[in-house]
Amino acid sequence: MRLQVPLAIILIMGLFTIVTSFIPARPIADLNQTFRNWYIGIITFFIFLGTINLVRVNGEKIKTKASDWQYSIILITALAVMLIAGFYKGRASTDEESVFMYLYFNVQFPLEATMYSLLAFFVTSASFRAFRARNKEALCLLLAAVVIMLGRVPVGTAIWKGFPEVTEWIMSYPNAAAKRGIRLGIDLGLISMALRMILGIERSYMQ
Amino acid sequence: MSILERISNLDRRIIFLTVAIAVIVPLFLPLRLPIEVTPPVQQLYDVIDSMPARSVVLISIDYDPSGAPELQPATLSIMRHCFAKDLRVLVLGLWAPGVPLGVSALEEVAVGEFGKEYGVDFVNFGYKPGGAVTLVNLGRDVHDVCRQDHNGTPVDSLSMMDDVRAANDIGLVISMSMGIPGSDQWIWYYHARYRGNLATAQTAIGAPKYYQYLQSGQLVGLIGGMKGAAEYERLVGRRGLATVGMDSQSISHLLIIGFVLLGNIIYWLEKRKK
Repeated sequence: MRLQVPLAIILIMGLFTIVTSFIPARPIADLNQTFRNWYIGIITFFIFLGTINLVRVNGEKIKTKASDWQYSIILITALAVMLIAGFYKGRASTDEESVFMYLYFNVQFPLEATMYSLLAFFVTSASFRAFRARNKEALCLLLAAVVIMLGRVPVGTAIWKGFPEVTEWIMSYPNAAAKRGIRLGIDLGLISMALRMILGIERSYMQ
Repeated sequence: MSILERISNLDRRIIFLTVAIAVIVPLFLPLRLPIEVTPPVQQLYDVIDSMPARSVVLISIDYDPSGAPELQPATLSIMRHCFAKDLRVLVLGLWAPGVPLGVSALEEVAVGEFGKEYGVDFVNFGYKPGGAVTLVNLGRDVHDVCRQDHNGTPVDSLSMMDDVRAANDIGLVISMSMGIPGSDQWIWYYHARYRGNLATAQTAIGAPKYYQYLQSGQLVGLIGGMKGAAEYERLVGRRGLATVGMDSQSISHLLIIGFVLLGNIIYWLEKRKK
């Protein structure tokens, strides 16, 4: 039963979802709408579940004094502070009106933006060490990268007015063609994986 | 150790330091280089510019503070353009951490700069969970998905929403996106079903993926990274943080190119030596 019930659910729901794409009439459309609402409800509950799990995992780290357990204290404290602050005027418009908005714009915002900005440092270092024109293909990639980097900044236009145009051409044709090919491959893979799951061939999600 | 080996094994802290200098110095000594507007940004500007007054533009805040340095200037510029054209703006977000960014942008532009009235000229629905499924429902019945606004006000009590009921009441959707759920879901699940005008603003790293949709006509405009935001700032005639950041980006791009070329020169010299 533990195997058959989930397989039956995914078979029925999978086939039903495919059928609704071709029959948008009542009562199938209404039933599909009900299922979609259920899905949103379940997804919303995951936020709560995720928070509980985060506290549980980090609480366990603090309890067992696992490596870097001190950071778990910071995480749980920050979570608790933002949660409490959010309940009190969390929907205010400015950081002068609420503690939540103050913390968001003066702590969370700079921290997250800084983490993302670190990419620039690592990209530069990695490019210097690894971006080598070892063969013709790598040379092509390197030249395209240089042109795009110059075409994407005003200094590139100051060097040669044609850089933005060449950049747009690379983006619109070779780049779009490659991305489209990759996308089609991914989507064909997704369709085949979905069929495998609906037909009960792929069962790794149950483990 | 030869000079080549020394340069080749350059301490990465020196590289980090040069990047920091390349980013910081232009902020204090701006070059003020002219910003050329690219076709994808111009297309979006033209679409908004040609919309009749009181049309509805839906702006989806699908990013969080990590993407804000690139996307928030674009959000502000688009809102400025919309309110200057007397368009109505509907804001929602598929990313919970992005909600305060939408609130702050509306406060700054709609209330602070244009004196627009909430519920009449703009509405904020805040975070909407559910990703793709929410978008499918939204196009079918906006009032069903957004029963209350961000502050808990019932949607039926907001006069702006009287004639905004489904996808065909929305003139343009702009997904300000840095990941999933975001522009992909807007294209695949919303635009594929309901059509209409859809545009996106992306972080620089995400923008190349969307040229295929721009080329196929699924997108009517694309703002790529801080450069795209700076272009939009130029179009609306207001210098913002993206324009200020362009000098730093210019110098840091030159620096990266310099390091790549230096790395390759060393590589070729070492190869020749061997």
